[in-house]
Amino acid sequence: MTGPTLVNTLATLLVVAALFVVLARKPAHAALLYSLQSLILVGAFVAIAYLFDVAPLYHWAATSFVTKTVLVPAILYFAFRRTEASGLPPPLLTPAATVALAAVVVVVATIAVRKVQLPLAADFKPVMVVSLSMIFLGLACIITERDILKQIFGYCLMENGSHLALALLGHDAPELVEIGIGSDAIFAVIALTFFATKIQGVVKSFDDRALMTLKD
Amino acid sequence: MSASWLLAALYLTYVVAAAAGFIGRAIGASAQVFVEAVHLIAVTLGLALALAIGGHVLVDGNIFLNGGWFMADPLGCVFAGLVALVGFLAGLYSIGYVRHDVASGRVSRARVGTYYGFYHLFLLTMTLAATSNNIILMWVSIEGTTLSSAFLVGFYQDRPALEAAWKYVIICTVGVGFGLYGTVLVFSNATAAFADPASAILWTEIVKHAAQLDKSLVPIAFAFVLVGFGTKGGLFPMHVWLPDAHSQAPSPASALLSGALTADALLIVIRYIVIANGSIGPAIPQTLLTIFGILSIGVAAPVIFVERDIKRLLAYCTVENMGIIALALGLGGPLGITAALLHALNHGLAKTLMFCGAGNILIKYGTRDLDKVKGLMRLAPASGAVLIAGSLALGGAPPFACFVSEFTTVVAGVEAGYWWLMAIAVLLLAVVLSGFGRMIGGSLLGAAPAGMKSGDLGPLILVPLGLTLALVLLMGVYVPKPVRQVVAQATESVLHLPQAASDAGPGTRSALLWPDVLFPHPRAGRAASAPDGDKTAPRSGG
Repeated sequence: MTGPTLVNTLATLLVVAALFVVLARKPAHAALLYSLQSLILVGAFVAIAYLFDVAPLYHWAATSFVTKTVLVPAILYFAFRRTEASGLPPPLLTPAATVALAAVVVVVATIAVRKVQLPLAADFKPVMVVSLSMIFLGLACIITERDILKQIFGYCLMENGSHLALALLGHDAPELVEIGIGSDAIFAVIALTFFATKIQGVVKSFDDRALMTLKD
Repeated sequence: MSASWLLAALYLTYVVAAAAGFIGRAIGASAQVFVEAVHLIAVTLGLALALAIGGHVLVDGNIFLNGGWFMADPLGCVFAGLVALVGFLAGLYSIGYVRHDVASGRVSRARVGTYYGFYHLFLLTMTLAATSNNIILMWVSIEGTTLSSAFLVGFYQDRPALEAAWKYVIICTVGVGFGLYGTVLVFSNATAAFADPASAILWTEIVKHAAQLDKSLVPIAFAFVLVGFGTKGGLFPMHVWLPDAHSQAPSPASALLSGALTADALLIVIRYIVIANGSIGPAIPQTLLTIFGILSIGVAAPVIFVERDIKRLLAYCTVENMGIIALALGLGGPLGITAALLHALNHGLAKTLMFCGAGNILIKYGTRDLDKVKGLMRLAPASGAVLIAGSLALGGAPPFACFVSEFTTVVAGVEAGYWWLMAIAVLLLAVVLSGFGRMIGGSLLGAAPAGMKSGDLGPLILVPLGLTLALVLLMGVYVPKPVRQVVAQATESVLHLPQAASDAGPGTRSALLWPDVLFPHPRAGRAASAPDGDKTAPRSGG
């Protein structure tokens, strides 16, 4: 398998793993699947680092392993491990409809990326498609899920999509930048988890339909 | 001696004050006076440093810090100054307001430190966003503003506050996630295109070499940036977090969110307008901004007329005013850009006045419902007068500040040939003014409810409002010379468009003229403020 093929294959696995995160009903399962998806992302970073001979990207892979594969899933897992799927509201879309939506997202992303002329992206159009797809898949997760915990995972998927694009196209960025983006994700997840837990304490539900008291 | 220390001192001031707040929280109720004292010193020092930075930039050119990662340029100074000024005014008001919350039992004395800690963290992140030259740090800072202010939105920790905080964090982190993707696309594009990839992270360098960027990628990146940071800026249709967050936060925090944060987010959009203009020309950015701008005004105006919750009304007014700024940016040219920057300042001041004034209503009546608020002028004449003046100011009536910038926007539109668009905008602004007129007639004037005790609020509450009102009036009748100068220089840095002359359309034709209708040319004898003219050029890379 050539270098670009390996990276493109890992990227394809990323979007499949993202779909499983969206489809998982129990928050603890979603956290584990998100950890797996982040591990694939780390693998993609290592592959890109090897292919382009970019030493800082190995450091990115290491920090991403700590933040995305371990810390963020751990925060979500331990915060919501006792939450059962049966106690959560069902999503707006059925699993079949979610898969169909993901397919549409990938097609639209492919069309959007087709005209991009960047030399770095020439052999990696699938990676660009996947990164864009993950952004919109994450957004779709946030919009179609009534369970606010799953909305947190939607944000995490969006963030991984941006990170993949940065690793492929901007791996010359100073390491501090990568640390900034990685640590920001942790703070965002902590803040979201904090408010979700508080809401559960006050509203006794993770259903976003219960959060309609302020509607005009 | 380099002036970089001014920038570092500004950051440090807010860092120390935030730390003092959280230390105060750890100590508990006994630390309230200590926390308040540090807060007061920090907001005052922060304003003094921001003014000193502005003065230095006007006289000696841009200031750079940490290899060019941080920068005070005229454009950044307008917004960093706005953050410091609103932070100072709302900060002064905070002392009386939070004391009232403590006295009424809504907030425990121990949690006062939490409020001030997040208040200064919020000021810090907004200041960093305004003074970042590193485009990734710009994004990190804007994301930081969400995380720091979310705890202010949810400060009261009751059901509505938590609901508002959740919506705020989820919508804004997602929105800003789009901003990250746009940022990454621009950075990646610049890395591939530039001879020195290490410089691709600096906004000043990207602007210099914008013509080398991929012309198929820049429109996609700009669309992501506009949606992403426009979400934070409260532009329609991404504004849905705003009425909830503004209405549930403590009133001085609402002033910060509305008066400083939304404009700060639009600053990032402005920075990308400069990049997009240099790469693909102004047509796409101006069209998108004009559409977002007029739609934001159009959606907000009728709601302002019918809304009966004063803080939600003011929140929709923020959407309307961000729409005016976007519209002015979309019209382009010196008049359009000047109007946008001036309106950011004027709206920030007027909204600080009104959100803090709304705080007075909450203290006096215990409700935000305008149907239950009657006869404020009779019960608390000073508060009532401030709110009447503030309503007229936000409604765009002369002689207050917003009139100047709204009028300039309309002139810019007419000059660019958009008569029909300006006619629609003026009609919508008239609806907004009538909405505020309805509020004045229905809630501020007239008879007070029977049995309510008359008497105004104390000086801790009224002095900051008086000071804010004086500034709103001053900006309406005479824009101070340093403000004129910094806005004019910021306008020129936005118009630093290599292709502006060749791509001139209806909006950019006027970009080649100076708006003498407003001010005399302020830059006689001074070197260009654009990156090429910087006295202290940044080193590339980090």
